[in-house]
Amino acid sequence: MVDNKASPVLQVKDLAVAYKIRGGEIEAVQDASFVIKRGEAYGIVGESGCGKSTVAWAVLNFLGANGYVKRGQIKFLGQELTQKSKSELRLLRGDQIAMVYQDPMQALNPSMRLGDQMKEVLTIHRGISDAEAEKRCAKMLERVYMPDPVNVMKRYPHQISGGQQQRVVIGMALLNNPALLIMDEPTTALDVTVEAAVLDLIAELRHEYDTAIMYITHNLGVVARVATRVGVMYAGEMVEQGTVEEIFKNPRHPYTQGLMRCVPKLGANKSESILYPIPGRVPPPGNRPAGCMFAPRCDYADNRCQEEHPALRALDNVNVRCHLAEEIDWRQWTPTEDVIAPPAVIAQAAADQPILEAKSLKTYYPVKGSSLKDVLGLGEKRFVKAVEDATFQIKRGKTLGVVGESGCGKSTLVKTIIGLEDSTGGDVKFLGFDITGNLSTRDEQVIKELQMVFQNPDSTMNPTYTVGQQIARPIRRFKTVPNDQVRAEVVNLLETMRLGANYFDRLPRQLSGGEKQRVGIARALASRPDLILCDEPVSALDVSVQAAVLNLLLEIQQKYDTTLVFIAHDLSVVRFFSDEIAVMYLGQIMEIGPAEAIYAPPYHPYTEALLSAVPVPDPTAKQKHIRLQGNVPSAINPPAGCRFHTRCPRRNLLPNGGKICQTEIPPWREPDDEHKIFCHLPTDTLTTFEPVISKEGNG
Amino acid sequence: MLVKDCMTRHPIIVPATMPVVKAQQIMADNKIRHLPVAGDGKRLLGLVTRQRLSLKTDTLGSLNLWDITRHLSNMTVKNVMLPSTKVQTITPERTIERAARIMADHKIGCLPVMENGGVVTGIITEIDLLNAFQEMLGLPVEGVRVTVRMPNRPGEFSKLMTALGDQNWGVMGIGTYPSPKADGFYDAVLKIRLVAAARVEDILNQIPDQEVIDIRNVA
Amino acid sequence: MEAMQSGLKLAAPPSRLRRMWKNISIIFDSRVGTIGMIMVLFWIVTALVSLFWTPYPPNATDFIQNTPPNIQNLLGTDQLGRDILSRLMQGTQVILLKTRLPWGKAILPGGVAIWGVLGSVTLGAVLGLNAGYRGGWTDQIIMQFLDALIAFPVIVLYLVVIAALGQGDLVVIVAITITGAPGVARLVRSLTLDIKTRDYIRAAETRAETIWYIMFKEILPNARGPLLVDSMLRVGYAIFAIGTLGFLGIGLPPPDPDWGNMVNEARRSIFANPLAVVWPSLAIASLVIGLNLFADGLREELSRYQK
Repeated sequence: MVDNKASPVLQVKDLAVAYKIRGGEIEAVQDASFVIKRGEAYGIVGESGCGKSTVAWAVLNFLGANGYVKRGQIKFLGQELTQKSKSELRLLRGDQIAMVYQDPMQALNPSMRLGDQMKEVLTIHRGISDAEAEKRCAKMLERVYMPDPVNVMKRYPHQISGGQQQRVVIGMALLNNPALLIMDEPTTALDVTVEAAVLDLIAELRHEYDTAIMYITHNLGVVARVATRVGVMYAGEMVEQGTVEEIFKNPRHPYTQGLMRCVPKLGANKSESILYPIPGRVPPPGNRPAGCMFAPRCDYADNRCQEEHPALRALDNVNVRCHLAEEIDWRQWTPTEDVIAPPAVIAQAAADQPILEAKSLKTYYPVKGSSLKDVLGLGEKRFVKAVEDATFQIKRGKTLGVVGESGCGKSTLVKTIIGLEDSTGGDVKFLGFDITGNLSTRDEQVIKELQMVFQNPDSTMNPTYTVGQQIARPIRRFKTVPNDQVRAEVVNLLETMRLGANYFDRLPRQLSGGEKQRVGIARALASRPDLILCDEPVSALDVSVQAAVLNLLLEIQQKYDTTLVFIAHDLSVVRFFSDEIAVMYLGQIMEIGPAEAIYAPPYHPYTEALLSAVPVPDPTAKQKHIRLQGNVPSAINPPAGCRFHTRCPRRNLLPNGGKICQTEIPPWREPDDEHKIFCHLPTDTLTTFEPVISKEGNG
Repeated sequence: MLVKDCMTRHPIIVPATMPVVKAQQIMADNKIRHLPVAGDGKRLLGLVTRQRLSLKTDTLGSLNLWDITRHLSNMTVKNVMLPSTKVQTITPERTIERAARIMADHKIGCLPVMENGGVVTGIITEIDLLNAFQEMLGLPVEGVRVTVRMPNRPGEFSKLMTALGDQNWGVMGIGTYPSPKADGFYDAVLKIRLVAAARVEDILNQIPDQEVIDIRNVA
Repeated sequence: MEAMQSGLKLAAPPSRLRRMWKNISIIFDSRVGTIGMIMVLFWIVTALVSLFWTPYPPNATDFIQNTPPNIQNLLGTDQLGRDILSRLMQGTQVILLKTRLPWGKAILPGGVAIWGVLGSVTLGAVLGLNAGYRGGWTDQIIMQFLDALIAFPVIVLYLVVIAALGQGDLVVIVAITITGAPGVARLVRSLTLDIKTRDYIRAAETRAETIWYIMFKEILPNARGPLLVDSMLRVGYAIFAIGTLGFLGIGLPPPDPDWGNMVNEARRSIFANPLAVVWPSLAIASLVIGLNLFADGLREELSRYQK
């Protein structure tokens, strides 16, 4: 193709954005420059607090009352945006720039039918007739692969799932055929399978409509899949930019390199590879170093880096903001002593007694109906079958990873084990005690030995009490040490978590997300439990912090011989962290076995689909393209037979198009000693599945 | 090839209220010659071209130095644009030869591309058509460019194709037209990759009634 | 300069005193809040001063009746020839500073309005926490009962309480407590419903903490911000209620002057001396508005602060 169309849609040059605060102002963005051309997807990555979203808001002039563009230019289709009046900008936003946020409900009016909301975009100020608008909206919904568009348009936002809401929002954004589409973490709140479908959609739309896309995300895997070029932001500055292939193959800036080392590669495990967190944290705006922003956390920093602020400069095919970019060879990198030394994982020799054993564990929630019959208690009792027939065991000192999409019952499973929910049937034994009942029925000893780490760092700690008080509480409650030694014990725990004794008197709001999470772990550890249940402990954290927390968990597991149940939706993290993995779908364990067996054929068809959806942080990796159709069915009335049969892409491998899947509960196939797959397909067929991910060239 | 395949999507469009000076600046900065003017919902209101921006000599003569400055600074795009009723447009689904025809007939350099009855989705200019022309003849790729003359009757072209097919050659571009100054003949221009010119000449000259009239290696 | 230095020394946690000052000083960020605080402080200072000094004895009928304001009596005199300024000053005491107990001359520090609000907050918090945290039937019963209570007109409730218990400072406190509790309970319940979904409550539950520990140690402290704002507003309502009761003649018993009662008494000679009605009304209004503004400012700043 003759490339005359690659003229820039958006040019941002030397952008600085400041917010006025009491007693001065802070520069959230200090120096960002980039160009997005027609039909190009430009990914902006970086940890939270690096000013990614601020750049997007600056383009839209959504900086709020106290924010303003301090320096620099934002040129959209040749026109300077910073000098435009509010009304001109509004016109541009409506017609030529569209934005998609992380939370689709921010863009949808909950009290309006979806169809009406979409039509409004076209009918107001546009003079398009209602019937015409209706037709075009339906067509657009079809474009974004919404099943049954005409019906969906009659619904309210809350009646469709999150993934579908996001599709409606994307469709709405595209109705006016914008030249620029800004997406701020649009798939972060979605499940991997839905995310994969949305990312496919974005790539397709980009090709078809030549829309320029600015894609903000913290997820390197997503960037690798969606973007053509990437800009890495750190502390309000663009520190590196180049094509996605170049950045992933040969990152030049130490920060980019650090990010790459923080994320586990899909298929990596804890005994063979190590995660290296970036030491320290992102300096807050207003307290940024004078020299290179990254110097305090950089392994290579010398005097010049401390004093002289580097400029973004061209080096080979990339732009990089580093004095030493030529000299740094990232393959030669070795961890300095500051880095938390990752524990050598020793293969456990003894095949211990299982610490936890569950046999056909069931947890059902009663559903309250709203009909008169139900109110009078005459209606048939209905249940959400959140966990169905879960059978598994965990050996002492091992980690069981549980993966699955949201609503698959993994959280309920954990809640049942810890006793926040009553089990409905089956048998669970923990250290020989029966723990089918909830907490009030349990022995003090059992309660003490079972603790939990939570997902959300902002709600895991009580904002009223200091760190010390909160960690001390379980110690006092279970009297693990005499009263006069509590403080010493807390300090000991804090030090295990690599937090100093000076954290004792801090309040939660003075801590960063990673620190809060570490305190949460320390609190769970305080009663010296045998089993810790971790419900997505790292999914709300930035990658560098995530690596540090994972390393700490590994360390305490070694130190205290703790057993862990680890829930996560990130399949690379689960693979890295777990010894055994259970894949759940709609309350049912679909596949269970040693981690390495789960991630290689034979697969359960659902596992295969999950793996093919995972965004891999390597743009050159070849990934099989399997997308599940439709939605997860309701757990109140799960499909008969195999619960996965409504969406299974492999059903037709069975005779009769898999009729048996609709009627009969599948058998457990056991391709290996410990590896079990819940599927009608015979083991021989499952074994023939090709690996989902392969490297280009060398197979 | 249809208009939608070679038009420029998301062209720079300006509001009718923009001062002419600014429009001129945008054209200079972005090296473009045409600016569609659009209102709410990207509906076409008119078109500004370079010529439209040049002052008519009689107006110019009647103004003194101060008046010129004032005249220019007060003028908006609306004053100088060609109103939409007079703008020739096209839709994305039409062919590029149709676009070329309209442009040639009206001696104009660009056509705004309209969708949904008046919304500007793109613009197609003579440059786009020239690019399409190059692409059709496979220009950016290195190879052998050969012109074959054949009688104007059914079956001749298929002979040529069979010859190419037998050799398993990849054709990167093709164009046919009535031979200039030779009635009853057609010329076909082919771009063939990864082969020597002598070999091509050899093979094609073996086709009965056809003749290689020009052959060269081009990049 | 000082602010900058303290910013740099973030490593050492600030002392408790400084932290407290920082917490209080956020109110100055809000103009409305500052104005409100000044108005409230004015009345508190007035009350404190009146403990030791008023221009004249408040109950002495030493002057000509119904005089307009002059040098001698800055706000004029009432229909019995008492100095209005002295009476207004003294009137702040029962509201803000002291409660007269029915046993002899015993006095409880803290005014009727304050104790009344404390009472309703305590009762409301207990009910709201139980309803919100336990849910189910407990919730149903508590909330139905409170709804029934709210359905009564407030004045009727006051009258019922006073008819049952007779007049007196304590009775007014009880009346304020009973009428205020349902509102507090609703607030606390809704806060509890939100807070109980937080993970730290799950953590407490997995330690098998008692329900009372969870309610009062884990949930209640985190509801204190909105509860504080609500209490401020409630003190305003309570003052209003005391005024109303005083006006009806069933409020705080004599001999201490009571703003509502002052309005009521002056009403009879309103044409002769309209200002005698205006002053106590203004006093009630300014204190209530001050508390409202203060509460508004506090709410605004707290919500910003918590972000």
